[in-house]
Amino acid sequence: MPILSVEGVTAGYGRVTVLNDVSLEAGRHGNVGFFGPNGHGKTTLLRVISGLLKPRSGRIFFDGEDITARSARAIVGTGLIHVPQGNRLFPDLTIADCMALGAYSARARPHEAENREKVIELFPKLAERWRQRVRTLSGGERQMVSIGTALMSHPRLLILDEPTLGLAPKIKDELCASVLDISKGGVPLIVVEQDIEFLLELSSQLYLINHGTVATEIKPGESIAHSEIMSMYFGH
Amino acid sequence: MGALAEILFGGLFQGSLYAMMAVGLALVWTTIGVFNFSHGVFMMLGAYLAWQLVAFGLHPAIAFPLAILATAGVGWLLQATVVRPLIGRANLVLVVVITTLAAGSLIENGVLTIWGPRSKQLPPLLAGNTMIGSIGVSLHQIAIIVVTPLILWALWMFLTRTRIGLALRAVAQNEDASQLVGLNVTALYGLAFAIAAALACIAGIFMGGYRFMSPVMGADPLLKALIVVVFGGISSISGPIFAAYLIGFFEAACSYYFGLYWTPALLFAVLILTLMVRPEGIFTSRGRGLA
Ligand SMILES: Nc1ncnc2c1ncn2[C@@H]1O[C@H](COP(=O)(O)OP(=O)(O)OP(=O)(O)O)[C@@H](O)[C@H]1O
Ligand SMILES: [Mg+2]
Repeated sequence: MPILSVEGVTAGYGRVTVLNDVSLEAGRHGNVGFFGPNGHGKTTLLRVISGLLKPRSGRIFFDGEDITARSARAIVGTGLIHVPQGNRLFPDLTIADCMALGAYSARARPHEAENREKVIELFPKLAERWRQRVRTLSGGERQMVSIGTALMSHPRLLILDEPTLGLAPKIKDELCASVLDISKGGVPLIVVEQDIEFLLELSSQLYLINHGTVATEIKPGESIAHSEIMSMYFGH
Repeated sequence: MGALAEILFGGLFQGSLYAMMAVGLALVWTTIGVFNFSHGVFMMLGAYLAWQLVAFGLHPAIAFPLAILATAGVGWLLQATVVRPLIGRANLVLVVVITTLAAGSLIENGVLTIWGPRSKQLPPLLAGNTMIGSIGVSLHQIAIIVVTPLILWALWMFLTRTRIGLALRAVAQNEDASQLVGLNVTALYGLAFAIAAALACIAGIFMGGYRFMSPVMGADPLLKALIVVVFGGISSISGPIFAAYLIGFFEAACSYYFGLYWTPALLFAVLILTLMVRPEGIFTSRGRGLA
């Protein structure tokens, strides 16, 4: 049984339809990558999965349970954790506050101390700035806070929306390494990324999201060349 | 010396009342991003509920806390009926101004029907008078001056030191991200409204203890609270507290030197000047955040 399956989801904002009959699956082992042009619905898909946006039709199963109608809060309670795109998390809270918030749900609270240690081990920089407000941190540090907050929520499946967006190459490499570390720690990931190299390194399964549908699926085992992906991006 | 004492005392007293009202308005603005125009009505309703409970024969020490709780409940209810269903609308701020005004006027007329237009008065927090230097003041006023900072301090501690306070501050800053850490955003909205209503009720009890109550007694304090948040900025609750006392002192000084008659005009002149220099002070959502 896949840990997450999306079945025929159609969703949008107001009268605009963004996602059109999207179906996909994420296995229990190995990570899943989404890629595709800007504005074609990757973030929207993640928002539907985490309950921020209700789909017009279709269903979403997490670990065999239908979570389509559940609130975002209830979904957090099942261990499906979404790190949103951008890093404007809680600008006026300190890192310490954010970590406490990450552990807010009843499910995560008992693991607060243990998860905090993991976060600090993964991002030692955060410990140095523990009482600093998020708005005063660098872009890379803020992304660390976002991911750290999600780890505090004790994820069973972690969704990252463009974690390296807008970061300088050196910081970006550091962050990619951290994401790989998280994956090695046993939490399956769903990652949206523009950086195909990183996505290929990280995931065993890729989906190209184009015009609000799954244009191509690359299954585990199917090796794929970078040039082929590029041609998918830009059309044949 | 007498002038200074009078201005100082008058400023502290008025400032306390304004702060009590303005903080609730700011709390609702920062967490939900709406202006609650029934805030003055909460104050009035709170005072009437307290009066009724005292009239039933309850001791004020029991009647007042009960009234505060009841008003908080009304705040919660109002939020659930005329604010929550509208969340997500593009013109939310304006729509909620209208719905809260409407609900407020409904409550106002309800109060008029139930308790009638005859003026009522609450027992003071402390009975009696005393002299400070050469000026005579009531113990009730002194109690207000002392109690208000304590309540505001408690609110501050609640917001900055407790888990729920942290959640309220988080919702104020980013609603989506709050949902993604599992916060119950609707409950927190309700809580913000309930706390604001409770604070308004306390202001009503303060006011009912030294002035006659009427169903429209909340209108002027609401206006003053709006002026205070415009002055102080609405992106935090410390700004309005500071501004409340500042305006209190300004009014006290104006009344002393120019007379009560000129005070509102001078206050508005300063308000307009402030807005010309710092226009971002009013009705903008240039970042919200408690504490
Ligand atoms: N809150 C919203 N209201 C209305 N339309 C929206 C909203 N959010 C996104 N859209 C629209 O939905 C479409 C898909 O946006 P989405 O953010 O899902 O794309 P994306 O694939 O994540 O893009 P990017 O790679 O730039 O992050 C876009 O046309 C966007 O303008
Ligand atoms: Mg996106």
